Amino acid sequence: MRARLSATLVSIARADPKVLLLTGDHGYALFDEFRRECPAQYINAGVAEQNMVGVAAGLARSGFRPFVYGLSAFIPVRVLEQIKIDVAHDNLPVILLGDGAGFVYSYLGTSHQSTEDIACARVVPNLSVYSPADRFEAAACMQMAFESKTPVYLRIGKSDRGDVHEAVPQEKVGRLLPARTGTCAEIVFIATGALVRTAIDIAARSYPDAAVWSAPFIKPIDGEQVISICRPHRVVVVLEEHSVFGGLGSVVAEITSESSPVKVLRVGVRDRFSQCCGSYEYLLREHGLDAAAIEQRVRAYLSAN
Amino acid sequence: MAYAGSTVHIACAFSIVELLAVLYRSHLRYPGNDPLAKGRDYLVLSKGHGVMAQYACMREKGWIGDKEIQGYFSDGSHLKGLSDSRNPGLEVTSGSLGHGFSVGVGLALGAKLNATDQKIYALVGDGEINEGPIWEGALFAAHHELNNLMIIVDENGYQAMGSTQEVLKLGSIQSKFESFGFKAMTVDGHDQAAIDDAIGELWSMASGAPRALIAKTVKGKGVAFMEHNNAWHYTRLDADTYRRALSAITGKA
Repeated sequence: MRARLSATLVSIARADPKVLLLTGDHGYALFDEFRRECPAQYINAGVAEQNMVGVAAGLARSGFRPFVYGLSAFIPVRVLEQIKIDVAHDNLPVILLGDGAGFVYSYLGTSHQSTEDIACARVVPNLSVYSPADRFEAAACMQMAFESKTPVYLRIGKSDRGDVHEAVPQEKVGRLLPARTGTCAEIVFIATGALVRTAIDIAARSYPDAAVWSAPFIKPIDGEQVISICRPHRVVVVLEEHSVFGGLGSVVAEITSESSPVKVLRVGVRDRFSQCCGSYEYLLREHGLDAAAIEQRVRAYLSAN
Repeated sequence: MAYAGSTVHIACAFSIVELLAVLYRSHLRYPGNDPLAKGRDYLVLSKGHGVMAQYACMREKGWIGDKEIQGYFSDGSHLKGLSDSRNPGLEVTSGSLGHGFSVGVGLALGAKLNATDQKIYALVGDGEINEGPIWEGALFAAHHELNNLMIIVDENGYQAMGSTQEVLKLGSIQSKFESFGFKAMTVDGHDQAAIDDAIGELWSMASGAPRALIAKTVKGKGVAFMEHNNAWHYTRLDADTYRRALSAITGKA
């Protein structure tokens, strides 16, 4: 996924000299190819994220197409006000790349873990929120963000959990994508980012007829499609490596509750910080987001509802 | 405007009147007198609290009319209590301090990359430079040799809750910017000829450095009962104070 992100960014930048990549002194190997291929379009703005976003706004006003890269804990959360006032208020075409979302930095602790970013970003007017699950969605999200010419926050989470699609999806912004087909009326799974893989694994093991949908677009999202996915099922399970407050689970609950109420089980981080450090898989277990724990919750929810 | 409004940042506007007058009269280039002209110079009012003074200049330029001025703060007015970029002539949405300067730095970098001769002026308050992003932007501007950028610091010595000396001591603002790699000068911010000369002299220096003009000003300048009285940071005029202020400014009873 990271190689695909890098390659897509390089191809966008080579085709348009107005593209600039700004990084807050992060990115290491991710940008080696970009720096080699497009050295004049690369700016390391230093450990100064607030200024970097303001500078990106000024560059966008001058006709440039800035991509702003940082860790998701900083871009968008640390600089949310700069995004709101300097970028989104005037609908400037700045693409914010937030890397390491969720528990990617499992060993480093709370400062580098990011499970508030979707909730923070989606309440900012004009700002779209994309959250790809694999390399194909990542390439499509990057390309569509660029073509939208509007502010987009692109969330990059755990990126080595394998493909969920077989090719780059040809769909419009806002559409959910089938990651697994199924006809089960009892249950359907909707997930985003790294947990799409988990949803597929759980379905394959325990609910072989259940469909799994990936939501690479948190905002805008096709509300009609969400309703048509949810309506035929008794229970909808939404999975995300993000707080259960304000993320994809909230989006699905908000949409369905207005016109087509359905039972929604929101699986995510339950309003808590990580207690300990360890491997990524360990952190998922600590938060009850490993496949076994999720399966148990789903089973309990199904029998109680 | 400060009479029409309910509560307004009147003293913040009065300290930058001469600075804006000189900039608009002698330095800012707007091809075709168009506030949205491509290739214009940029005046970024980072201290959005002074926006009333800019509205007055925009009226002089013919970009807004008396009707809009008179409607200030009325329901549906586009002219807000702080700068809103959706009004042609205002380049940024400011009021949350420490934002506009970074946008100005980005505009300056953009002008450099586009190889234009545009000049970018960013007007900040002395209270505003408490904000960290000002110094992030200063490092960035010097590193990228943005010699088309001039930060103008309105050093009126006060911020919302007290004097800068009481709240957070600033020391020498000029030497701070010099230590960040700027070419800097200090000037009497109410002496129009001196401001004009200083801006000219700063631009005339052959250097890759960004420029800093420190303008020593008086908060509430022009109205004796407002000068050096921080109660006027955010206070409206009533019938009596409006009459007295008007008489102080116009010299008529």
